[in-house]
Amino acid sequence: MADDDYTEMDMGYEDEPPEPEIEEGAEEDVDNNNNDDTGGEPIEAEDKADEEPVEHPRKTSKYMTKYERARILGTRALQISMNAPVMVELEGETDPLEIAMKELRERKIPFTIRRYLPDGSYEDWGVDELIVEDSWKRQVGGD
Amino acid sequence: MPRLPDCELLYLSVRPENLILTNISVPPIAIRPSVIMDGSQSNENDLTERLKQIIQVNATLRQDLSEGSAAAKFLENWDALQAHVALYINSDVRGIPPPKPGEKQYSGFIQRLKGKQGRFRGNLSGKRVEYTGRTVISPDPNLKITEVAIPIRMARILTYPERVSHHNIEKLRQCVSNGPDKYPGARMLRRADGSTWQGLICFYYLCGHVSIRVSRKRLADELKYGDIVERHLEDGDIVLFNRQPSLHRMSIMCHRARVMPWRTLRFNESVCNPYNADFDGDEMNMHVPQTEEARTEAILLMGVQNNLCTPKNGEILVASTQDFLTSSFLITRKDTFYDRAAFSLMCSYMGDAMEHNDLPTPAVIKPVELWTGKQLFSVLVRPNANVRVFLNLTVREKNYSNKLQENEREFETMCPADGFVCFRNSELISGQLGKGTLGNGNKDGLYSILLRDYKAHAAAACMNRLAKLSARWIGNHGFSIGIDDVQPSDKLRDEKDQKINEGAKDCDDKIKSYKEGNLPPEPGCDAAQSLEAVITGILNKIREETGKLCMKALPWRNSPLIMSQCGSKGSLINISQMVACVGQQSVGGRRAPNGFIDRSLPHFPRKDKTPAAKGFVSHSFYDGLSATEFFFHTMGGREGLVDTAVKTADTGYMSRRLIKALEDLFVHYDNTVRNASACIIQFCYGDDGMDPAHMEGKNGAPLNFERLFLKAKATCPAGGTEKLSPEKVSELVESRLSKKDMTPEGGCSAAFKNSLKSFLDNYVKAFKRTWDPCESTEGHAKMENSATTKNIVLQLSGATARQLEVFLDTCISRYHSKKIEAGTAIGAIGAQSIGEPGTQMTLKTFHFAGVASMNVTLGVPRIKEIINGAKKISTPIITAILECDNNVNFARIVRGRIEKISLGQVAKSIKTVMTSRVASVVITLDMERIQDALLSIDANVVRDSILQTPRIKLKKEHIRVLDFKKLEILPYESNRSKLYHHLQFLAKMLQNILVKGIKTVERAVISSEKDKKTDISKKYKLLVEGTGLLGVMGTEGVDGRNTKTNHIIEVQQTLGIEAARTCIIDEIEYTMKSHGMSIDTRHMMLLADVMTSRGEVLGITRFGIQKMDKSVLMLASFEKTADHLFNASVNGREDKIEGVSECIIMGIPMQIGTGMIKVRQRVDVPPMLSYGPKPILSS
Repeated sequence: MADDDYTEMDMGYEDEPPEPEIEEGAEEDVDNNNNDDTGGEPIEAEDKADEEPVEHPRKTSKYMTKYERARILGTRALQISMNAPVMVELEGETDPLEIAMKELRERKIPFTIRRYLPDGSYEDWGVDELIVEDSWKRQVGGD
Repeated sequence: MPRLPDCELLYLSVRPENLILTNISVPPIAIRPSVIMDGSQSNENDLTERLKQIIQVNATLRQDLSEGSAAAKFLENWDALQAHVALYINSDVRGIPPPKPGEKQYSGFIQRLKGKQGRFRGNLSGKRVEYTGRTVISPDPNLKITEVAIPIRMARILTYPERVSHHNIEKLRQCVSNGPDKYPGARMLRRADGSTWQGLICFYYLCGHVSIRVSRKRLADELKYGDIVERHLEDGDIVLFNRQPSLHRMSIMCHRARVMPWRTLRFNESVCNPYNADFDGDEMNMHVPQTEEARTEAILLMGVQNNLCTPKNGEILVASTQDFLTSSFLITRKDTFYDRAAFSLMCSYMGDAMEHNDLPTPAVIKPVELWTGKQLFSVLVRPNANVRVFLNLTVREKNYSNKLQENEREFETMCPADGFVCFRNSELISGQLGKGTLGNGNKDGLYSILLRDYKAHAAAACMNRLAKLSARWIGNHGFSIGIDDVQPSDKLRDEKDQKINEGAKDCDDKIKSYKEGNLPPEPGCDAAQSLEAVITGILNKIREETGKLCMKALPWRNSPLIMSQCGSKGSLINISQMVACVGQQSVGGRRAPNGFIDRSLPHFPRKDKTPAAKGFVSHSFYDGLSATEFFFHTMGGREGLVDTAVKTADTGYMSRRLIKALEDLFVHYDNTVRNASACIIQFCYGDDGMDPAHMEGKNGAPLNFERLFLKAKATCPAGGTEKLSPEKVSELVESRLSKKDMTPEGGCSAAFKNSLKSFLDNYVKAFKRTWDPCESTEGHAKMENSATTKNIVLQLSGATARQLEVFLDTCISRYHSKKIEAGTAIGAIGAQSIGEPGTQMTLKTFHFAGVASMNVTLGVPRIKEIINGAKKISTPIITAILECDNNVNFARIVRGRIEKISLGQVAKSIKTVMTSRVASVVITLDMERIQDALLSIDANVVRDSILQTPRIKLKKEHIRVLDFKKLEILPYESNRSKLYHHLQFLAKMLQNILVKGIKTVERAVISSEKDKKTDISKKYKLLVEGTGLLGVMGTEGVDGRNTKTNHIIEVQQTLGIEAARTCIIDEIEYTMKSHGMSIDTRHMMLLADVMTSRGEVLGITRFGIQKMDKSVLMLASFEKTADHLFNASVNGREDKIEGVSECIIMGIPMQIGTGMIKVRQRVDVPPMLSYGPKPILSS
């Protein structure tokens, strides 16, 4: 039994994400890392990172902050609670917040975030452009 | 009217004549309501009363004027009117006699605004709210840590307005038809058309004054989308839970509601810590957020699972406590075994038998299958194979023996007390779990690591499982404490008596030698002080030794012992006080003072210095205290009580000031820290932009590399892949570290890069040391041998390419995810992080800075001094590093140069000489003494110092140096009759002349640091009490570059503002550390930056905060409300409502956190539809 457990665990590593996902394109990156290939993939990921600023001459972080996340989910949950059309397939969820979280997970929230810099200028980021840091295990309270 | 230039010059907004009142404002009745008492009486507001008086006086004045009565009478009324108008605005205005006793003092406008209960602090900055509840709290380990049990009575009163949508219409229909009294019901229904129905027996339709009864059933059936139902609280609703005093942000957290019977609010004990709650009758408050946005923000930002660790220093705060620790400790004992039934039962305890658990292989198979308690924890961390949690950690518990094995190695897993906790891939290998692993306040405990490696959910689930398991297990097992647990054995009693007698004899010897004058004095102390120090040392030793004795004597199953070992409650001192000896009682840091003449109590002879006469309690609590001992004990106890009472007020005010000074600071999107008016305080938060809440390493380092490396090695086993040689390792590391995300442009600080590099360099170096010997062995015979050793070395300390890569990637990606997020209110967090530990500090503590005689103020008073930017501090100390620090004589010479020495101290005699021809004062120096003290003083030096002394009027021609140790001073007084007195006067003055040293220095003491290993090679430095940093730094023999002082203002004056900043940081850190509290240095940096960013040290006081360009409203809501408002109106100040306080006062969202951004709906342009016929040729 213990041996079984151990081998199970060895294999277990392969689909275990090696820690908080690296950089953007998080999902793909995980998959890459899980393939046995070790050398090439991360470098590729780096190249992607290089391209980013060229595409967007924006200076702020490409990660969504927890405040942005809360604001967006809150606004979206309010919309959903007021009977706004839901952008994802539902699997029995009824709580507006939960539906909003599912939408964010699938990057279907039709919002743009306007980030204000201290000099009054701003940058617009689409919700789907930002990397949401959290692992998508249910964050909220109960199991 | 155009603004006149001279007004502008005078900083006035309008012409000064407008400052004279010609009309007074009379506020509407809503501002000064009259309360109708029973019957026809009415109680008028103070303002109304005052207005009445004004009108009366005004009327009489008018009458006087029109009648043309005597000027005296009319002036009296004139003054009275003036006074009444002044009192109308400010009822305690100066210059007006206070009302006679019995006469009522009416409050004016200002009294309504200012103070804690005033409009600003009482109603504008803090508002009363609905949808709240408060009752007694009680524990419930069966709840999840994220839950709170709400009594059903509360749930029926508190409501949430849920809007009917097609997801919830059925549920809400049921609620409406249940009505307000049956549990899942509703209290109110608001239709989309604006009509409301308030429910009692059935719902009433409220519209204007008409109320119509409509049956609930009908309303439920008629429920439409868009209606709002104020339904009862239900399971899973989001509530905020709070306990006062709310000292840090974890004092109010968001839970999920669980509606339960009975009358108390209940929650998992693991969450006691952040609230600082216990169940001895504490009450707590809860609030129900009323909008979808509020709930979302509450659960995402304030949820328990998102606040498991404190931003103070990144330690875990929500963790197992008390019984959970005890039962874990007992379960994981080395000798506990469970058979299949018991083990399975315990496995099912932790998940309510609802989870799937994989049973591990039993530790013993024959004759019966047995599992160890440690295996249970492997199941707890990883219940089944589908849970991908691979926990790897090593913790040294409190009872880990630090002794070394014979081969100079640590025992580690072989620790005889089983104190080395080691988890490898979620299997508990060794160690008895206690507070170090499961408790709060650590960074490498089980929950901290689960939180860091597998996120909050894993840690929370584990806490839930442990709570359930341990509550049920300890309920069956039983754990209690009785009188026999604290009964000392006869042997212990004898040994203890012997120890105490020995100590008493020791003390007697010391007292005897003190009386004879033979006691060797401690550095910088007189004989009496030295005696006290020595005796205190002896008495403390007695308590320690008796404590050790009783530890040895207690059996392993002794309950208090178990509790102290696992850290759940009580310390070794507590036990030994119960069993063996209570020990010395102290009042104000010393032994009991003399309340009577020369003695502490009349039971003792005068000037008695024996232990018993000065508050040593040699009995234990079990024995019972003698009358005198009891009295001494109450003295100590009273001091503690007074202390707590005083310090709560003190620290509360300190926290308030800190918050007011720092509340506006937050991180902007360009990573700068700015205040409300966008002035930069820091270019990058804490110099590296990391979030203190996420720091894993010691001293605020982002990561604990060693642990991560071990984890990387454990989670990806080598299998068959080859391990790398040291050279290969360095190569791989180099290539990874040169990538973009490790450059400053990629957002990586040099400090982090260096720390990672140095960790890996050290690893490579250590690896090489073991590797090289097997590489270099020559000769064919040894070749084979070396190959095997090489293999062994590789197996033991080598790493595969994969492991190394995983390690590096983990480190780097995790580093990037630990950056502080834009919008974080780090100002408020920092203020709380410094204010909250203040409440835990004992008020007055002194601490010896190296030498027994040199006390430094610590605790709350010291923090207050630092934060206030006090010009005069109670114990200024300069630490002077010597240029040559291994020689006592050198240190003595330098001390001679610093310490102030008056002429009287070095002169053998100062005599007045009067002969018929000459009158003079002759000074003879005591050269022997001077030589002994290694001072470089001779007659010439004395002459110079006399000449430099101000106000003595002696000129060069008045002083004659006779030889190197004699000088003669001639009087400048020519009047012969006054000469005698003049000479006497001179002689007296000369006594006090400073010959050598720095005036502002009180004294200097040489402190020596003993080398820990050799005990011989000492490092000497000087501790200088007093100010005069410049003088000390300039003294010959002192290394000025390393000389420090704890006086911040002096540092600023001598070394500049940057030095003052560093000094503030160091001093706060030192004070906190000496109370055993660690605070992330970033908080201190922020505070220091705020205090110094204006170019001078601004204290966090009303004067300092005023200068930090704060807005009027913020200042008015802080202190001196009226003054700020008057000044602002005279100067015509504007308030842009940018800061936190202003926004709260105005009731608008502030530009911090979630309010910093704007969210725009992305409107997808609908595709253009052409209504013509379809093209015939389509592709």
